[in-house]
Amino acid sequence: MKTGNIKTKCSYVIMGLGQFLYGQRVKGLLYMAVLALYLWYLVTSGIGDMTGFFTLGTVEGDPWLGTKGDDSIIMMLRGILAFLVLIAVIVFYLSNIKDVKNTERLVEQGKTVPGFIASLQAFVDKKFYVVALFLPVVGVAVFNILPIIFMILIAFTNYGGDIVPPKLVDWIGLENFIQIFSLTGIKDTFVKILGWNLVWAVCATAINYFGGLLLALLLNKKCVKGKTFWRAFPILAYAVPGFITLLGFKFMFSYGGPINYYLKAFGLQAVGFLDIDAGWKARIIGLLVNAWISIPTSMLLATGILSNMNNELYEAASLDGAGRWKQFTKLTLPFVVFSTTPTLITSFVGNFNNFGVFYFLRGGLYLDGYFLASDTDLLINWLYNLSIDNNYYGIGAAVSLIIFLITSVISLTTYVNSSAFKKEDTFR
Amino acid sequence: MRNIKRALGLLLISSLAISMTACGSDNAKASGKTSSDEVITLRILENDTAKQEGYLDELLSAFNEAYKDKGIQAVDANMEEYSNLAENGPYGYGPDVLYQANDKLMSYAEDKHILALNREDFECADLIPEEAWNAFTIGVNGNKYTCAIPVNVQEPMLFYRKDKLPENWETDWDQDGDKTPDFLQSWSSLYQLSQQIVTESGGEKYGLVASCKDLYMMAEFDFSYGGYVFGKDENGLTNSEDVGFGQGDAAKGMLGLRQFAGVMNEECIDDSIAQNRYVKVADGTYFCSISTPDTYVLFHDRLADVYKAEGCSQEEADKKATENLGMVELPGKMPADGDLSKNGDTVETVVMGGVNGYGISAYTEHRDACIEFVNFATSREMITRRAQILGIAPTRSDVAQEMGGTTEMIFGSLSAGHINLMPSVKAVDQIWDPMGTLLSDVAKDAFREKKGETVKYTDEASMQEALDKASKSIYDAIYTLSN
Repeated sequence: MKTGNIKTKCSYVIMGLGQFLYGQRVKGLLYMAVLALYLWYLVTSGIGDMTGFFTLGTVEGDPWLGTKGDDSIIMMLRGILAFLVLIAVIVFYLSNIKDVKNTERLVEQGKTVPGFIASLQAFVDKKFYVVALFLPVVGVAVFNILPIIFMILIAFTNYGGDIVPPKLVDWIGLENFIQIFSLTGIKDTFVKILGWNLVWAVCATAINYFGGLLLALLLNKKCVKGKTFWRAFPILAYAVPGFITLLGFKFMFSYGGPINYYLKAFGLQAVGFLDIDAGWKARIIGLLVNAWISIPTSMLLATGILSNMNNELYEAASLDGAGRWKQFTKLTLPFVVFSTTPTLITSFVGNFNNFGVFYFLRGGLYLDGYFLASDTDLLINWLYNLSIDNNYYGIGAAVSLIIFLITSVISLTTYVNSSAFKKEDTFR
Repeated sequence: MRNIKRALGLLLISSLAISMTACGSDNAKASGKTSSDEVITLRILENDTAKQEGYLDELLSAFNEAYKDKGIQAVDANMEEYSNLAENGPYGYGPDVLYQANDKLMSYAEDKHILALNREDFECADLIPEEAWNAFTIGVNGNKYTCAIPVNVQEPMLFYRKDKLPENWETDWDQDGDKTPDFLQSWSSLYQLSQQIVTESGGEKYGLVASCKDLYMMAEFDFSYGGYVFGKDENGLTNSEDVGFGQGDAAKGMLGLRQFAGVMNEECIDDSIAQNRYVKVADGTYFCSISTPDTYVLFHDRLADVYKAEGCSQEEADKKATENLGMVELPGKMPADGDLSKNGDTVETVVMGGVNGYGISAYTEHRDACIEFVNFATSREMITRRAQILGIAPTRSDVAQEMGGTTEMIFGSLSAGHINLMPSVKAVDQIWDPMGTLLSDVAKDAFREKKGETVKYTDEASMQEALDKASKSIYDAIYTLSN
């Protein structure tokens, strides 16, 4: 700022003015147009949107009296958007400063200042990645970042229960998190569900992963005839939509389903596989049903990876006296694990947040000792019960933030400590 | 290469410009309020059955014909049956008029998403009993408001096979000699018949089998003994802080349910029965089951399928199904001590019911036109057609009388207080899962002894404790996180 000449300094005050004075009229006008557009937006709604973000409304609507009222949720969304626009304008402003300094340097060096078309051509050529990524970045900001920020912020409001529009929502700081960790019923439920959720995620991931791997190894054996035919069966299970499969399994294990029918036909007692007392029976059924749905995916993945294995390694290992188990643990497994660690982490997170299995198999049960949940519910199911079934959006958002923190920490720790990260070049 | 980059850059920029242009919304188009300056278009949300059976088409055609000169037309809102007015209405996407159950409509009324109405604006007002109006009454700042127009009453009904009545029913099962089998009038008698059917068939056939986890179907085992959903405050308005499932002698009634579950089969514990009941009544495995009146057609069609499989023509099968399928109210007497195996003192059965009606969205731009529509839809002619096509029990006394039979019976039960209507508050959403879990557990308890498992509900005290826990769970769900 101190070193620039007066023309350059003009761009610090009015975006694009410096460029205009240096003779880059079109570029200068475009920068100024962006500034003018932003100022117009600020005056017409931007300032209101930013203020509204903090107040979340002051006038409560009354449809009976025809009072329009403020919509806290829309105000929050508009507020977030206003801040995103502000960030975009700051980025523009900084690029304007950088650009005017470049122009100043060119002038000082006695070079010709490029015109608009030349600047545009140079920009498209040198900064092609910016042009190519601009649209996706805008899309990500609007369709990903905005909803994520919105969800995070909801966790700090009293939105839900009786407080739904037209009533006004308020900021309540960490109150929702304090409720989760202090209210006896909720805290106990959270701890119980989290414990089961971790066991579920580890077991489900392991079963699906090794199940798929074993199936792939089996179907890779030379002695297996008609491999394509056998491979089609897991693909069929994979091709049926998950929820249809889950509803099918629910019926199969119900009192009126075929399993109990045959149990009774053989003179045995019907078994409540999924009913209120089912406990671990229902949990194990959940794991197996999930394996049925997920093993085909890991089988396909493992089949692809195994096809890249170097058979000479096995021949060498055989010559060195390594048995089949040794070859599996020292050659096959490290190679497959190395290649699939990121997928394994994705699978773990997917299983941690596996909503469908217990929602379809055992939804609608609220057991003693659980607050709006049952002993098979995962955190994601509890989140659904709280936020969708019972309208506690604020608490639901807080739970989802906690889920996010847990899965991020586990995923990052696993990945950073994996050979896929530490020995990236090993198999290259 | 440079040209390709330039072209690609221009393409990306122009696609952004086009997509941004496309983002511009046209509220008038989106809301669909009017199709031209003259014609007001009302969007009507009806239930799926009314659509499937063709009643909605008939209603809309009749209304549009009658109002074509007045510049009002009604169209199907084309929305999901339970689409959320609270989420869509404020942004101009909800229906103008909606037909739903009292609990749903009144949850909207609590937040003023539907309009408060003046009863005198509606021709049917004097013909509808006060009990039905109460289902749509809300208290705001000490004043009472009516927020919807009652159309029909719903209550669980007993569907049974007339051709499967015991041959000796007139001599052995009609002790009061009123030409109606005792087991259609008394739960004790129905229990004894069920026991007899199970014993005689060696467990192959059953008397009554119904979904025990369904609170709506099984509430009579609680309400008939003094239990209730929510109490009333000093102004006679619903007080959701008073959860009453464990009140009075409700524990006795729940022990009665446990006893009855013992002569059903285990399908009564989970959702299986909800899918199977139509087929099992049709094939004679069950003598009777419980469901709502709007499922009559499903029982009828499955029975007709059985007759068709036996070689009857479609017409004959329909005729035989109509003759042999009976639909009556649930038996009116329950044992006072909850013991179904004895024939002692009785109490009157009180079932859970609901009232469906028309509400008008508070976000409509055509309030008067909506009132015209509701007036038309609740006219004697349209309610009669509704009753004929959908088999509903209307709240209009003149149509109920004209229809006679079951319709008049249900209307009479509502007026006599034998139907405990679902409370018209949002908090009612919290009762279903905790009570459904308890009812399922009570039904399961009937089978625990046979399997060598520990029986949980051995006496009134243990049952009372379970009811109190369920009530507390409901209270906690409503108030623990309330703001």
